[in-house]
Amino acid sequence: MNSKYDVNEMYDRHAEGELHLPSLLTHLGERSLYDAVSQCSRCGYCETVCPTYMLTGREPISARGRNQLVRMSMEGRLGGAAAAAGEALDTCLLCGACSEACFAKVPTADIVLEGRRAALGPAPRLIPSLLSRLMLDRPGLFGFLLRLGALARLTGLPRLAGKLGLFRMLGLAPLEKAEREAPRMPFTFLAGKLSADPELAAAPGGPAPAWAYFAPCGPNYLFTAVGEATVALLKRFLGKGLFFHNNCCGLLAYNYGDIRHAREFARRNIKKYEELKEKHGELKVIGDCSSCTAFMKTYEQLFTAEPEWRARAAAFAAAVRDAIEAVPSTAMTHAPREALAGAGRITYHDSCRACHGQGIRKEPREALRTLAGKNFVELPESDWCCGGAGAYSFTQPEMSERILRRKTANIASVRADTVAVGGTSCLLQINAGLKRDYPRAKAVHYTQLLERLTRPTAK
Amino acid sequence: MFRKDRLHGTLEDLRRIAGEDNVFTAEADILAYSYDAGSARARPDAVVRVDSAEKVAPLVKLLHGAGVPFLPRLAGTNLSGGTVPLKGGVILNLSPLNRIRSIDTAAGIAVVEPGVVNLKLQEELAKAGFFYPPDPASQRVCTIGGNIGENAGGPLCLKYGVTADNVLGLTVVTPQGETLELSVEDTGPDLPGLFIGSEGTLGIVICARLRILPLPRHIMTAVCSFPSVDSAMKAVASTIAAGTVPRALEAMDRTSLDAAGGGGLRLSDATQAVLIVELDGNSRRELEKEMAETRSFAAAAGSLDFREAADESEREALWAARKGAYPALARLAPNVMVEDGAVPRPKLPEAAARVRAIISDYKLTAGLLFHAGDGNLHPNVIYDERDAEETRRVRKAGHEILRACIELGGTISGEHGVGVEKRLAMNWLYDRAELDLFSRVKEALDPKDLANPDKIIPVSDRHARRKTEPFHSRPAAASNLVSELKYRAAHGIKSRVRGLGTRTRPPSPEGGDACRNRAALPAVGGRAALRPTPDEPEARCSATSPASGRDLDVSGLDSVLEIYGENLTATFEAGVPLHVLRSALKAAGLEAPMPKLDGTLGGLIATKAWTGIRDLLLGLELALPDGTVCRLGGRSVKNVAGYDLTRLLCGSLGAYGVILSATLRVCPAGRAPRFHRPDGPVPAFSPSEVHRRLKKAFDPDNLLNPWIYG
Repeated sequence: MNSKYDVNEMYDRHAEGELHLPSLLTHLGERSLYDAVSQCSRCGYCETVCPTYMLTGREPISARGRNQLVRMSMEGRLGGAAAAAGEALDTCLLCGACSEACFAKVPTADIVLEGRRAALGPAPRLIPSLLSRLMLDRPGLFGFLLRLGALARLTGLPRLAGKLGLFRMLGLAPLEKAEREAPRMPFTFLAGKLSADPELAAAPGGPAPAWAYFAPCGPNYLFTAVGEATVALLKRFLGKGLFFHNNCCGLLAYNYGDIRHAREFARRNIKKYEELKEKHGELKVIGDCSSCTAFMKTYEQLFTAEPEWRARAAAFAAAVRDAIEAVPSTAMTHAPREALAGAGRITYHDSCRACHGQGIRKEPREALRTLAGKNFVELPESDWCCGGAGAYSFTQPEMSERILRRKTANIASVRADTVAVGGTSCLLQINAGLKRDYPRAKAVHYTQLLERLTRPTAK
Repeated sequence: MFRKDRLHGTLEDLRRIAGEDNVFTAEADILAYSYDAGSARARPDAVVRVDSAEKVAPLVKLLHGAGVPFLPRLAGTNLSGGTVPLKGGVILNLSPLNRIRSIDTAAGIAVVEPGVVNLKLQEELAKAGFFYPPDPASQRVCTIGGNIGENAGGPLCLKYGVTADNVLGLTVVTPQGETLELSVEDTGPDLPGLFIGSEGTLGIVICARLRILPLPRHIMTAVCSFPSVDSAMKAVASTIAAGTVPRALEAMDRTSLDAAGGGGLRLSDATQAVLIVELDGNSRRELEKEMAETRSFAAAAGSLDFREAADESEREALWAARKGAYPALARLAPNVMVEDGAVPRPKLPEAAARVRAIISDYKLTAGLLFHAGDGNLHPNVIYDERDAEETRRVRKAGHEILRACIELGGTISGEHGVGVEKRLAMNWLYDRAELDLFSRVKEALDPKDLANPDKIIPVSDRHARRKTEPFHSRPAAASNLVSELKYRAAHGIKSRVRGLGTRTRPPSPEGGDACRNRAALPAVGGRAALRPTPDEPEARCSATSPASGRDLDVSGLDSVLEIYGENLTATFEAGVPLHVLRSALKAAGLEAPMPKLDGTLGGLIATKAWTGIRDLLLGLELALPDGTVCRLGGRSVKNVAGYDLTRLLCGSLGAYGVILSATLRVCPAGRAPRFHRPDGPVPAFSPSEVHRRLKKAFDPDNLLNPWIYG
């Protein structure tokens, strides 16, 4: 092709792929980053779904602006100063609303991440990298440090943990927020509890397990009750299952740290899946944080340069399900009145990676309508990000706050009491906002609500 | 360097007015405002986010004083490079001005700020059971301000008109920073008409009053397939000619259909074109009758299949084929050039065939989408802008398509605007006379050339002469009148343009008997007592007086120039009495959708005695005071090429130029709605500052009806 532009040598290392995605798996097929970003024709149809654009009205922090700035930096038109695009890239929520609105499904979030990786150069962000290294190499120590934080709280030294900047030091800002917002940090992590559950052990000669529960970091380290509810729900509707004994899915490393770590997490989970499959036959891998399940569904993209792993990743990805799509509404009936009374007026917030990332919109609504009937109301702008977006509330506190206020205002506008969500980051964020702006309502994880509404009544 | 210096010192003032956080000069901001949805590129020097409508005027005043170019920008979805700052300067980002100020369903008016997203307005209106007709394809993101800047259309404009037909009033900040309140009801030259579609080159709209309508009770949708584009267009023509005005009449060719995977329609191999017909109204029975008629027209034109949607979900499925075409093409390649030409409706099949040939000559791929009901065609050419050679071919093909549209009697833009990308094509559509007139209009309102400079009007190469001849030969009376004007201009003789209403009578007693006699004539002009004798131009002059000038009788302009039934347009000379116009149309089975008025057509236009005339007028032939003849507008029902001077001339009272002939949209006999005759005299007119400046653009020596601007 007789190209008008030269691609900046800064991006040459894309060919090597170690620290980057060698290519993107887009809706239109496998594309180089440059081809993927050039697919943006600047039509602007994504602008009205981009929360940061809608709140600021500024093109550079819109989806189209971000794609264009990454493209210009690749074409060397940023005057060599890729840092100029820093704000544009850092303020992206990675919510993916733009890609869903886009006719060509330009993968803005992946493009932004590649832009961030390029802007950061070969050394990715230190803290998240250290953190994921820790989780990979010394999971025991990682858990110990978290427990230390919890202990500090329990022993009446909550401020100390904050002042020590323990979480901040770890780069796990949401945990710091959790430290403030979550009532209790569990002293026993979910993995420990589930490992001890005899029903989740494979019994020789028993029925073949249909599913394996994947414990994302949120439920594992913070919201063990969510994970327990998910497991109870899956047992109730899908029969025999197992605990996956998983690693972190790697999303944190993918978004904020070292992509090599993300690959390592992925490999470990894929291997684990293959072992389970070998032993028990086909089974679904079900997780209850939409960000994680959405990421795992795209594992293949991490390995486009490694044919063998690529195929294995694709097989794994095909088995992944989000807990919010796993339980069919057809298996449900109207919930008992007492259970509904506890929940009050129910609404549903589409976690970004559920609706934009995985296209899950129908399933949870059908289930909630079946269960709650008229007690279910639609939330205006339900598929707008809440501003949680992983570590966003820490990295972009001001923007995150503005986005959150819009969310809580929408929740208040339908006078909801219970907001069902699919991601643990949303849970943290929305509850923090509601506590301040609209304390009457509470966000709960979708599986927790479903578990409560479908619990058999004691006779 | 120069540009930096230009803003030096101004930045601080900009911050003071706009707010500290609203002025952006970082490289990323500059680059992000150096593009829009077209392919042109230019860097601004700064971007100012305007968070209150009241700040626009002081900001503009400041920039005007400092001599810094500026332009308003909203969603940046325009396809002609209209929001790219060719001379740098400041971009005024108005997108935060997104308040719907009021919705008054009783009066049928919505008052909105420019940043309101079209679809958002529709959603709010729908809650009250109303809608705002213009519905451009980008309505999900494009804004009312942008729609006004480009005079946007959409499928519904076939029945309900384009933006200019649906705006009742505007608050505009002029390039000098003055705020104007304009209404279509104002007397004098129609200023809203001039500002709409001026692409930010004449001023900035900060508030708009829009006409809103109750949602129709019933909508019926059908899809029919045809073995050729030609046969589909035949069906369109006979449907329209029968007087059925669908709310949408959209066509697409096989390539678009294939790209969209057939859009879920089961199409036979023989299908080469598909037509989507949508009717609306409040009477189900009426609609069913019209649908049955449409079906029989389709069958007569050779349709292969005709399917009506049984319910809302089926209706959506039928639309998916049309609405899915652009997205599908956008997936086939990184870029889609959405060309936008318009031709008289009956020429659509020929236009389609020529476009096809051009596309294949240049070895390109394109889907053809048509707003078939109004002769507007959108070839969607796919390409990769990174491929310089392919991009050149696309550009050349685009130019040839526009030339073809011109040759077929059409125009270079139906609804996307000229911006920078079609500037060159303006040379092919217009003669030097019109381009110079456009320049003078721009200069009159923006003498420093700061408001979105270098847009719409070609900056060079204005020597190219128009290739097409007028579609009618000029009758002797008009030629004589033109030479008379030339003669008078050369001798500085002022003229009193006759054949007008009594109100334009000079107030001075020198008017004499002739004037008193005319005062007894009907409100909207009338045949003057004195008929000119063509061989004796001097004989036209009577009642000469220094203040009011010599009479210039235009009642000799009495020919019916063209009745173009298939296109539903008709062209008359300005002196044709309205009763003659009516009977001429009636003889052709047509009528003009206007109240039954007396006087001449030219008089009606010049006095705007019935304001609705501004929406019927498609084209004008205008003689300037020096005898230069300008052809404005044309016979295509959609046209946004250049300033809308046809509308501006409505209410001009003969002081801007002498209207020689006018083209109107007409409808089949018996299909026009009933109109109330406007009663009472037209209110007196006293020109505003803007009217005066425009007067200088048209008539610098004040030769025509001089007392009005005396």
